[in-house]
This record gives sequence, C-alpha cells and structure tokens, in this order.
Amino acid sequence: MPYETEVLIIGGGATGLGCALDLALRGIGCILVEKGDLASGTTGRYHGLLHSGGRYVTSDPQSARECARENVILRRIMPHCLEDTSGVFVVTPWDDADYADQFVANCHAAGVAVQELPLAELQRRESLLNRAISRAFELHDGSADSFLAARSLALAVESAGARIFSYHQLERLIRMGDRVVAGVVTDRRSGEQQRIDCAYVLNASGAWAGRVAALAGVQLTLVAGKGTMVAMNHRMVNTVVNRCKYPADGDIIVPIHTVAVLGTTDLHVPDPDHYGIEAHEVALLLAEGEKLIPGLSRYRALRAWAGVRPLYQDSGQRGGADRAIPRTFKLLDHRERDGVAGLISLVGGKWTTYRLMAEEAVNLVAQRLGKLQPCRTAHEVLPVPATEHRAHLPPLRGAAARYGAQTEHKATWPINGLAQPWGQNEIQGLDADYYYLGQHLGAVEQSQAAGDLICECELVTRARVLTALEQGIHTLDDIRRTLRVGMGPCQGGWCVYRTAALLYEVQQTQAQDAPIDPNMALRDFLQARWKGALPILWGDQLRQARLDEQIYVGLLGVDLIADS
Amino acid sequence: MHYDTIIIGAGLAGLSAALRRAALGERVLVLAKGYGASGWTAGCVDVWAAGDAPLSALATLVRSRPQHPYALVGLEALQRGLEWVRTLAAAAGYPLVGGWERGLRLPTALGALRSTCLVPLTMVAGESRQLADGPLLIAGLRELRDFFPPLIAENLRAQGYAATGCYLQMPPGERQRECTPLHVAQCFEQAHVRANIGQQLRTHVRQGGYRRIGLPGVLGLHQAPAVVAELQALSGALIFEIPTLPTSVPGLRLFHVFEQAALAAGVRMQVGGWVVRAEAEGQQLVAVYSRAAAREQRHSARRWVLATGGMLGGGLRSDAHGHIIETALGLPVAKPYSRAEWFDPLLFAPGGHPIFQAGIAVDPQLRPLDAEGRVVYENVAVVGGALAHYDELREGCREGVALATGYGEEQKNR
Repeated sequence: MPYETEVLIIGGGATGLGCALDLALRGIGCILVEKGDLASGTTGRYHGLLHSGGRYVTSDPQSARECARENVILRRIMPHCLEDTSGVFVVTPWDDADYADQFVANCHAAGVAVQELPLAELQRRESLLNRAISRAFELHDGSADSFLAARSLALAVESAGARIFSYHQLERLIRMGDRVVAGVVTDRRSGEQQRIDCAYVLNASGAWAGRVAALAGVQLTLVAGKGTMVAMNHRMVNTVVNRCKYPADGDIIVPIHTVAVLGTTDLHVPDPDHYGIEAHEVALLLAEGEKLIPGLSRYRALRAWAGVRPLYQDSGQRGGADRAIPRTFKLLDHRERDGVAGLISLVGGKWTTYRLMAEEAVNLVAQRLGKLQPCRTAHEVLPVPATEHRAHLPPLRGAAARYGAQTEHKATWPINGLAQPWGQNEIQGLDADYYYLGQHLGAVEQSQAAGDLICECELVTRARVLTALEQGIHTLDDIRRTLRVGMGPCQGGWCVYRTAALLYEVQQTQAQDAPIDPNMALRDFLQARWKGALPILWGDQLRQARLDEQIYVGLLGVDLIADS
Repeated sequence: MHYDTIIIGAGLAGLSAALRRAALGERVLVLAKGYGASGWTAGCVDVWAAGDAPLSALATLVRSRPQHPYALVGLEALQRGLEWVRTLAAAAGYPLVGGWERGLRLPTALGALRSTCLVPLTMVAGESRQLADGPLLIAGLRELRDFFPPLIAENLRAQGYAATGCYLQMPPGERQRECTPLHVAQCFEQAHVRANIGQQLRTHVRQGGYRRIGLPGVLGLHQAPAVVAELQALSGALIFEIPTLPTSVPGLRLFHVFEQAALAAGVRMQVGGWVVRAEAEGQQLVAVYSRAAAREQRHSARRWVLATGGMLGGGLRSDAHGHIIETALGLPVAKPYSRAEWFDPLLFAPGGHPIFQAGIAVDPQLRPLDAEGRVVYENVAVVGGALAHYDELREGCREGVALATGYGEEQKNR
C-alpha cells in the first residue's frame, strides 16, 4: 500500500524539519524522508553560530536582514537550543582599520543592531583576546545546538501529526507527464521499498538538492562549498568572536557547549558525500585563530570536520569565488523554472534562517493547495526532548539562573543600536530560558549523579543514555548527536564502550526487527572518530588517541572480536 | 647527593632497572614525573601477542627485525627478566603464573580473548583452554560503569563458551557517589563485603551449576589472591578476574609489587620531579634538572637510565608541525619521515600506526644514537617504551620489553 500525503519533504536537516512543522501546523499533511539520521548533513556539521547578521552586512545585506529577524524569532521559539553568548567583531592589526566604520554603517543599513564596545570592557570579558585589537563592536550573535534543535523540531512535527522517516533513501521520483506525483523510498534498515503519493515534493536536501531534482529530470546545479572547522578542547572565549573584515577563511571563533569552534574554510568540492580535510586547512584555521587569541594553537585541538554549504547561483552567473555567491536562499518553483509541476526546491540559505525558508516555501505550497491558514512557526515554542537534563529536572529560570549574582557581568550591557528593530526585553533576552554552560554540571550535581556518568567529558548520565535508547535512538552516532556522548576530549575512550554495552542490554529487553551488533557499532564509531581526529592528532590529543588505542586494542580487544 | 645511577621514569622498565642496580649495591634514585602507565594496563606480563607460542615467534622476530628491542638485548635477557619478575611477584605474595613457551588467552571486559604470557593468580582460572569445562558465569556490579556482564557473556557465547551474564547487588552501605574500580577494590578488602558477594555468588552457582565465575578485576588492592580464595570457598566455583578500563586495579597491583620492592631495596624515589633538561660533558651525561614546586633541582650521577615511556607514557611528545621531542634529555628521535606517514587511515589496521614506532634508536648496549648512528651519551641506557622500532601495544610486548631492557640493561653496561 502506498502512503498518501499532501507534501513529501526530502531532507531531515533544519530546513526540511522546519517545512514539516510549518505544514503540520497549518493542517497540511506531510511526510519527511531523510537518508541518514536527522541533522546528519550540513545542519549537524556547521560551526553552530546563531547569526546576528553581522557577517553578511557587507557581502550580502539581504541575508543580514533575514538573519537579524530570525535571530529574534529563534530566541523565542527554541531558547533551550541557544546559548546567549553575544558576539563581537574585532579589528586586529591584520584588518583594514577603515572597514570598521563602513561595517557599522552597513549594519545600520541592514537593520542589524550594533554597538561599539570599549576596549576595556572587551578585555574584561575576554582576557585572552589579542591586546592589539584596536576596536570592537558587539552584536547579537549566539551559539546554537543544531542537533538538539533538530530533535526538538522533530518532536514538534510528530506531535502535530506529521511523520518522519529517517534512514530512508529516496530512490525515484515518479512523474505523470509534467507533474511529480510520488516518491519511492527504501528503508535502509529493512531494505523495504515504499511508494509515497503526494501533491507536492519539497526538495529540502541542501547540498544534495541537485541529485533529488535530477530524479525528476530537472537540472539543478549547486556549488558544494566545503567549510572545514576545528573544535578546540577549551572555551578560550565565551563570546562569539569575528574578525571585523570582509568574510574570509578562519575569521570566526564560536564557543559552543564545552568547546570553541574555529571556522571556517571555503573550498569547492565536486561531491557532497566525498571530501577530505586538508592539512593546510587546519594550519590556516590555527594560524588565523592565533591572530585573535595569541597562543591558541597550543591548546588542544579535538577534532576537525567539514560541512558542505549548498550554494546556489542562477545559471549564467558562474565563476568567481564561492564566498561571492550570495548566502541568501532561493525558492525554486520548478513549474515556472523547468515546466515540471509538483516539485519545489529550497536552495542556499543557512541554519539561522531555516524557519524563514520553510515559511516561504510552505506559503507557496499552501497557496497552490488552496490552504489559507497563516504560518505559526514564529510563535510556537518548541518542546524539549526527554533526553535533555532539564526534562528530568525543574528548570532554572531566566538570567538569574544563567549568571547567578553576577548579573551586571554581561546581561545589563545593552545593545541599543541606532537601528533597533525590536524591543529592549527581547534584545537582552532576560526572561528567556536559554541553554547555559553550567547546565549539565548543575543538573548532575542536583541529581547527585556524579557516580553514574557514562560520559565524563560531556557529563552524560546513565539515565539520559537509557532514555535515549528506550526512545529508539539506536545507533551510537545518533546517540552522539543526541547526547554528545563521545564528543569530548577522550573522543569515546570510555563512554562508547559503556554506551555500546548499554545499547546491547536495552536491545535484549526490547523486541527488535534488526538488532544492532554492538561490536560492529563500537568499531564503526571509533573508526569515524579516528577519521575526524587524524588532521589534529599531535601533542596531548595524540597521547589521548594512544590511550584510547590502549583501551580498545590493549585492554578490550575490540579488534579480536568477529561480528555476530 | 651523588648517585651511582639515576633512573628517569617509574614504570615497570625503570623500576626493573632500579631494582637490578640496587641489588648490586648501587645508590639509586628514581626520578619521575608520575607513576607511569601501569594503571592503564591489564596487569599481566605481555610478551608477544601473535600466536600461541611466543617463544618460537620471537626466535623468528629477532632474526627478521634486528632493530627490535628484543633483538638488541637478546632473548636470554627476556628470559632472565621473566624469571626474575616471577620471583619478585611471588615474594610479594602476588604470584604470576604462565610462561613464554605457551601463551595464555584470557577474556577481556568485552569478551574477546586476549593473548598474554604471565598472569596473576587471580586471573588464571579464566584461561581459555579451561573455560570450556562447563557453564560459566560473568558477574558484575551495576554501580561499576566499566563492566557489563551481558555483553561479555554474549561475546563469549559467540566463541563457543557457555557463558551467562548477571549483575550482583552492591552490599548495603558500600554504595558511593563515585563507584570507581579503586573504590570497589577497597570494598572487597572488607570481610562483610566478601561474605555478602560470596553469598550472592553461591546462590547463582546453586541455580546455574556454574564451574567458573568471571568478576571484574577489582577483587582487592593488596590481598587479591586471598580475596579470590575466599570467594571461591564461599561460592563453590572457580573465580577469575577480568581487567577493567583504567584505572586498572591489576595494573596498579603489579606496579605496587615493583614499588614496594624498590623502596625495600633502598631505592630513593622522587615522584613529581619532572626532568626538563640535561647537562653534558662531551658524550657523558653529567646532571639533569627536574622541575617541581616552581624551582629547578640539579641531580648528578655516574650512570643514567631513561625509562620515560613513549607517546602514552609521556616520554615522547609531538607538535602540530611534525616534530617529535624526547621530553627529558632532548635526545634525537627516530620517527616516520613526515606527518603524512604517521597514521593509517584505518584505526584498527593490523600493523598499527607508524607514529607509535617512533622513539629513541639505540645500540646493543641500549645507548642512544643520533640520526647518523653515533652514540649520543655513553653513560645513558634507554629502556622500555621510549625505544624506537616497535609498537608495544599492537605487538603485545609492553611488559616483556620493559623487563628485558629494564632488567637486562645492567648486564649490557657493567
């Protein structure tokens, strides 16, 4: 029996999930299919910046405007996924000092709130920053947990009645004449094929959108712009730090959870599924990072990874650097563009604007379907998954919880920029229940669970691992994305063995169609971590890798066990 | 104070050298940053992982790989080291069982069977040739996060052993917020804990008819053989320990055997003395400087033994540019040509990763060599993990090389 729905969404990143939620809230039926886990593509592989818009005020003012608007909305609907770090743009000796005034003017023009920060205040907040910084501007940047946001979105989608099929690969799009009428997907776990009849296909597959369009016989060319990032095992800064210059490689540091992410490079790659990380990219990120934080490269690097930006340029405008391609998104109605009805592609864009992209795409679909309900996603606060600490504990409220008695430390610093598009309370976010860095430690201490940590690096308790497993999150990689198990300095040394064993124990108590082999899962996970560690293995992290090898080869004999 | 020999590093290799030289009447100082990597190991004596007959494999090895530490010191040195360590451990009331003619294979905390040569008495009932003699119970404590009996039993079953996994109840009053292997080991030194666990095991044995029971390697820190004997008597089955993740209690026990013997032999041990630089006259090392408590201290001696370990032990350190330094004396390091050759893209590649064969190249007297093959210091011997041209982990020879070079060093440099 084929499934029937109004809209089939391809892609389980932020955009696809945002479309699903928007459709479901408007009462339009939809099914989302994703070939891997949710957020396993570019959504889960970016630096985690909640854009203020500042990065784009010069190169792409429209993107800047969109980011500034969405920034406020995301703070309202997913505070638990965001850390209110604030952001600074700093002028270092390597930057054109004249650009600063132009930057401020561009911020004003684009409606991005900005205020010059006295250098004494900058140094008080971020003492490790280069003392040669000559000017600094504060903007409304933050950091975002895009894995958690995807989980929250998925929860909201499912409670609104729509269905999500992860680990389902789109095989074919079926056309009747010049109209796409169905998709055929394969369940990658069982191998079963399923046809899904629909009125519209929403192609939200990011860097893979060209491949999806091709299944309908439509040519859509995307530039896959690879961005490499390095996670450092330390939050050298608690504020997002940008170089105040035209966007370039290695000009940003994002503090997120327990790490600081150095981003990014930008290299055109032919295939979004196959790319490597070059030694020179890592060297460049560290060298540029040194300009912001002298001595940065002596900190321990944890891991390097890359994501592919889905950059779209209308045909006939090719050539030039990737960074010159606008970062704003495009909604492509293939009926107008290619004469193929029933297919709409969403290309370009960025995580911060996922909701806006979804809103515009769904507006178009809803109009075609004759549905008149307005978009509600800007106002519906997203649910917190049960795997989060705060789902188990009474929440800590507002700024008092975040900053304790030291509220004057930061929260009272206003960003009363000249072009201030929103109200004072919203700017400061004083009443929002944001993620804060001490959240996990606070929760572990409150529940006296220090003796029951499965992952000491990221403070993940046994209760949370079991909650995730009982909810059906069954691959070690999905557990990592959900709980951050294995993302800390030991990169899985202790926790992955424990998690694999718990996975086995939970599977024994549940009826499973295709139980996961814990030994193979363990080996695959460690191999995937190894790949990300290779570009940055030196110093203490190389020693750590040797300790992990001692644990898995020397003590456990993972390599001696055959797959069951 | 002037010493006859100063040993840098307090792992098994360094302490073997210290004990050997102290036994000959030398004044010996062990200068170490910390306590070595013993707490990260299984607490067995690994000599050679491949195959069931280490001795014959090694006879081939010393011919085919002349730079391997075993080839440099010779198999007689290894044999002497193994005999000596058995005597040492037996005297300490912690007997080691086995030999190098026939390797032993014992279950790991994942249920794999791992090769080794000498094992403590507390583990020997888990030897794979005996495991098949009847139903087998793997029992753990839920509070201990590093031991999961159901998975261990599953993997043992897949290899043909009739294993069952179960969890025991931690005796009341012994649950702690932080239930580390070390804490549980201390619990087992209390009579009421042994009685309680023994009773629980007895119940399982009555119900399941188990011949053998595998427990996590946490059965006491100081009196482990007595703990195992008591649990055997209480339960009516043979008990064996399975090493856990770091901190490994059996690894610590083996270290304590060496440490206590060294102190009893009059070896002075200065831990927390981090050697940072050397002072030489020509090819003679005259003194080293250690850093502790924000000052430098000068130590002088006639002879020196470098036993600081490799990348894991902290004797070698690398940077982002592909340099590798030997951290104590700044000796030249033999290493892969460029950083591009450090690693295999597959983590579990059978040959391991070339970077971990980096180390100090030495002559047959274990004296450090530079890139041209010239002796750097005539009065320095390098032993254990700091040596080049072998991978102690992948080859399964960490303790074997530590003993062969550490205990054998003196004979090369009389």
